[in-house]
Amino acid sequence: MAQPRISAYLPPDIDPTKAPLAFGRRALPKLNEELQSPELLTQQRALMALCDLVHDPEKVYQAIALGFLDNLKTLLVHHDQTVRQKTTEVLSIMAFHSIGRQGLIQSGVISALTGLLDDPVDICRKNTHQIFDIMAKLPEGAAGVLQAGLIPPLVLKLKTELDEIQEQILDTLSNCLQVEVSEALAAGVVAVLKEKLSHPSTAIRSKAAWVLLEISSHAEGKIAVCKEGVIPVLVSLLEDTQPEVQVNTAGALMFAAVTPQGRSAALGAEAIPPLLKLVAEETNKARLNAIKTLTLLAELPEGRQTLLDHRDTFQQCLDDPSEAVQRAAQIAITVIEWKP
Amino acid sequence: PDTPEVEKPKKAQKKLMPRKLKQEEIRPGTPQPVEGREHVYVQTELYLEEIIDRIIEVDGECQTDEFLDRPPTPLFIPAKTGKDVATQIEEGELFDFDIEVKPILEVLVGKTVEQALLEVMEEEELAQLWSHQRAFAELRNAEFAELQRLEEQDRRIREEKERRRLEHLEKLRKQKETAEKVAARAFAQRYLADLIPSVFSNLHDSGFFYDPIERDIETEFLPWLMSEVEETLQKKVLGRVMLDSLIRMVVEKRLDEFSRPPPSDQTEAPAEEPRATDAAPQVSGEASAADQPVAEADQPAAEE
Repeated sequence: MAQPRISAYLPPDIDPTKAPLAFGRRALPKLNEELQSPELLTQQRALMALCDLVHDPEKVYQAIALGFLDNLKTLLVHHDQTVRQKTTEVLSIMAFHSIGRQGLIQSGVISALTGLLDDPVDICRKNTHQIFDIMAKLPEGAAGVLQAGLIPPLVLKLKTELDEIQEQILDTLSNCLQVEVSEALAAGVVAVLKEKLSHPSTAIRSKAAWVLLEISSHAEGKIAVCKEGVIPVLVSLLEDTQPEVQVNTAGALMFAAVTPQGRSAALGAEAIPPLLKLVAEETNKARLNAIKTLTLLAELPEGRQTLLDHRDTFQQCLDDPSEAVQRAAQIAITVIEWKP
Repeated sequence: PDTPEVEKPKKAQKKLMPRKLKQEEIRPGTPQPVEGREHVYVQTELYLEEIIDRIIEVDGECQTDEFLDRPPTPLFIPAKTGKDVATQIEEGELFDFDIEVKPILEVLVGKTVEQALLEVMEEEELAQLWSHQRAFAELRNAEFAELQRLEEQDRRIREEKERRRLEHLEKLRKQKETAEKVAARAFAQRYLADLIPSVFSNLHDSGFFYDPIERDIETEFLPWLMSEVEETLQKKVLGRVMLDSLIRMVVEKRLDEFSRPPPSDQTEAPAEEPRATDAAPQVSGEASAADQPVAEADQPAAEE
């Protein structure tokens, strides 16, 4: 009997592309069964409905408990592109939630996704890389990506993929390389990144600089960066107009200048004037990194000499609201005024 | 074809006829025809029927048609019954559309917007998380760089210290070596300073360096001298021996002579005898003993 009360659910056939949801607790199990049906249309409709449900964390929990991930893994290699696209979308939305991430790591979805790297459809690849990106932000996820041996293919893909996907790959790489850097160095990542530093897009340049930062925080990375002659490129990038690029570039130089060769290379590339300019600007986010880099350069006698004239710039930094910047400026002044 | 009411008696009749024929064979049948006439069977029904044994057969075929779609049912318009009555709903009488549609619209729009908001909120939440993470990462990187710098400094200082220590050790070692060398050299020098004189003295002592004249004197002159001295001494010894023998003879003679005479000479004779017998063995060598006989021998030699 029709009731005057309007239901909170949308009417049943409002979107014909979605499977109708069963009531309450039965919704997800029914979708699970529909996913395994041999008919293509049923699968597609079930996937569309699942995409909408998965935004709710409770549904994610329920879905993982019901063992959706195994079905989704089998659907990843389906021949129909809509199915693959929707599956990757569902997985990427699941990865936004913490429970989803845990579930994805435990059921080994990352290795299943390696096959999709060469998918002809753009959206599938984009979603796949988004999943990798989000997973890499977790330490266990980064370890999972490393274990699946994804780094060499990702580095190769950097050269050939679309711009948006490149951004995601760069993010993934930056988080994974925090952990371990040797595989990537073997795949020649420094050369690829050197190219990307001169890319027209701001985001790619800043992310490439961020990845270089992560690489040079390891000892082998520092050696590789010095050898490939990336430091002059970084120094020229310091004068870029975008603040994110400046921040990351200053950070990369900061790590690269720890070794003596890096330091002399940076001094040789005349890094001091642009860095001083960055420090002098009050609102720049790159201040911290620039101060640290200058501290490192001041350990060399020539650097100290040059910086002795610019001590007042550092004095100004002592008034910065951020505590870290104050401390860094203090240390910088100490190093500059040190006499052997 | 006849109506069933007509056909039924016909069938009954037909059934009766064979029965009747059978019965008629037993009992006499119809009388024989009159001469010149024939009995003919005649049908007296309305419709004549050809009576043949062979049943009329007609071949007929039947084949079902291919599947044809069921033709659409023709529009069924039932016959009009009842009375025609008209009614008209004026605007605003049944319901007010604007008011009634509001909840439905609200649900529709609300659900969509809610979904969209959820997604946007999710993304915003994530973006905030990532930016938070980024800020932390930056601080961490700065600290990490500081740590690495200090490590590097420490490493350099340690290396420098190590190098200096090694250098110092090297220097000490070299110094020690040099001192040892100097000491060894001094010692060797001192040792060897004596060497030449000692060598020379050894050689000198072992007679390698000789003065030829001295040698000459030693090797020739002195043996000759000695031999001459020996000769002389032998001569003297000979003289003494002669003297001794003379004395002996004399003493023996005297003994013989004095043994006959009185015993007062016997005391002189034995005293002279020991003296003579003493002088006889003391011939060679003893200087004091030899001097006396030599002196005594010289006198007789000089007397002779």
